[in-house]
Amino acid sequence: MSDKHVYLSTAWRDEALRRLQSELPPEKMNNITTSMSNIYKNCPGGEDMFLFVECKDGKVTRVETGTTGAPDGEFRITGDYETFAKISRAELGSQKALFTGKLKLKGNMAKALKLASLADRINKVLSQIPTEY
Amino acid sequence: MARILDPKDPYYIDNPGRVKSIQSEMQKRNIDVYLGSRVRTMSFILDAFCPWRSYIIIPAEGLPTLFTFVIDAVRIGDETWLDEDHVRAYAPMGGMDQISALSEFIKDDLGITSGRIGYEDGVSTYTAEGNLTHWEFSRLNDALPGFEWINSHDIIDGLSIIKDKGTIERFRKASLIVDEGHKAARAALENGGYKGMTEAVIAGIAALAMRKAGSVSEWNFAGLNEISSGYRTGLGACTPPTNREIQAGEPLMLDFHSMFQLALGDHSHNYLIGPATDRQRWHGDNFVALVSTVLDNYKAGASPSSLAEIMLDCAESRGCADFIVPGCEHGIGLFGDEWRIGATADGPIPYWTDPDHVYSENEMVVCAMQYQSPEEGIGFRYENDILILKDGCEYMSKYPLAIEEIK
Repeated sequence: MSDKHVYLSTAWRDEALRRLQSELPPEKMNNITTSMSNIYKNCPGGEDMFLFVECKDGKVTRVETGTTGAPDGEFRITGDYETFAKISRAELGSQKALFTGKLKLKGNMAKALKLASLADRINKVLSQIPTEY
Repeated sequence: MARILDPKDPYYIDNPGRVKSIQSEMQKRNIDVYLGSRVRTMSFILDAFCPWRSYIIIPAEGLPTLFTFVIDAVRIGDETWLDEDHVRAYAPMGGMDQISALSEFIKDDLGITSGRIGYEDGVSTYTAEGNLTHWEFSRLNDALPGFEWINSHDIIDGLSIIKDKGTIERFRKASLIVDEGHKAARAALENGGYKGMTEAVIAGIAALAMRKAGSVSEWNFAGLNEISSGYRTGLGACTPPTNREIQAGEPLMLDFHSMFQLALGDHSHNYLIGPATDRQRWHGDNFVALVSTVLDNYKAGASPSSLAEIMLDCAESRGCADFIVPGCEHGIGLFGDEWRIGATADGPIPYWTDPDHVYSENEMVVCAMQYQSPEEGIGFRYENDILILKDGCEYMSKYPLAIEEIK
């Protein structure tokens, strides 16, 4: 049996929540309360998918994945599956993906700027999950 | 954190009330949403300094939302009265460029997918006016199909003509700050202090004095503190300072600018660096008489053309009409509003001051007069923020009107 989790699967989601909670204590997340919905376009299965992450007072409280019914987040980031996959594999920085238009952000940009470093921390943790894309 | 508005503050401006007045005008014109882009519009609504390209979206009701360049959004959020959710940013990122951020906010956040959108267009002598560019308009028009675009700048311009108490107090303060600049400059020039001093240095001496007195900027786009000496005084009404040295026997014009809470102090004072000739003194006496005459006639009911006629008549009677520039004023308001008189653009020459604009009580202008004889290498300038009163005017710089000879 492979010890890799299929990207955005239920098992991957559970592992993501576990790692984020254990590796990113509230003080490392600046005790922030926010949420983010990543919308994946052009996924291998043909359907759109989503990854939703929520923090309350710095604690990662929810990680959800799925194909329909993405929860509304304070921020919504839309892009191709492959772009997100590259970010999760640490092959592409999320900032570069945004600055080159590969990802599209919706939400208060001024607030997003304050959260950029936190998003990077989350991505670094997610990139450590053994994942099958 | 957003600034808390305090009605007890002598410089208080009712910005939420201004927004409601704008929305009331929008309703009269069936405008569903207003997209402001001019510097003066940002100052009038936000009461914050917005130097980068900014846009403000005003819905039919509720608070407006600012979009400014991402590097400055947090600072503006700290200075304006709008809360963090209404101070947003654009950036060179997917979905966050100006066109995407504005159009998606209107469609998705405000839920307006068609209707009439007010915007700001026109032409100005002031480079940084901030009308919507053709590129911006074209892209927004593509991104917002179903909208009818209505040029509506006169809503803001109309509402900003008559100054409220807080705005007037700010201008009084800004003008007194300018006087501190003139006092410092006078002290630096006297007793031979001018020798070896350049136009740029005297500008800096005044700037420091004004900063110490509370100014945050020499705001003027045409050269901050404008200085001219010698033949340059005869070159017209825009003289950014140079490294030219001030010299004996020459005229010197000092036009200082201060900014206090976005109110713009503006006062010009003139000197003759001695020894002055009789001809120089004759020019100087003419100019003081002309300025005095014009100031005596500013009041509600007067118009730019009526004042220009008075000035010309006075000049003819003194034999100096060939040396005056035939205009007495320019508009003034909070930062970004410094040129046209009046609100509409339907004067004889669109987007220029309507010569028949009738002044009203509590309107403000800069009395701005220029006298010049380039052939003789001499000229003078007078500028002063003035408040139009029922039977006269209040000139806010109290620095005595005179053309002194510096011995």
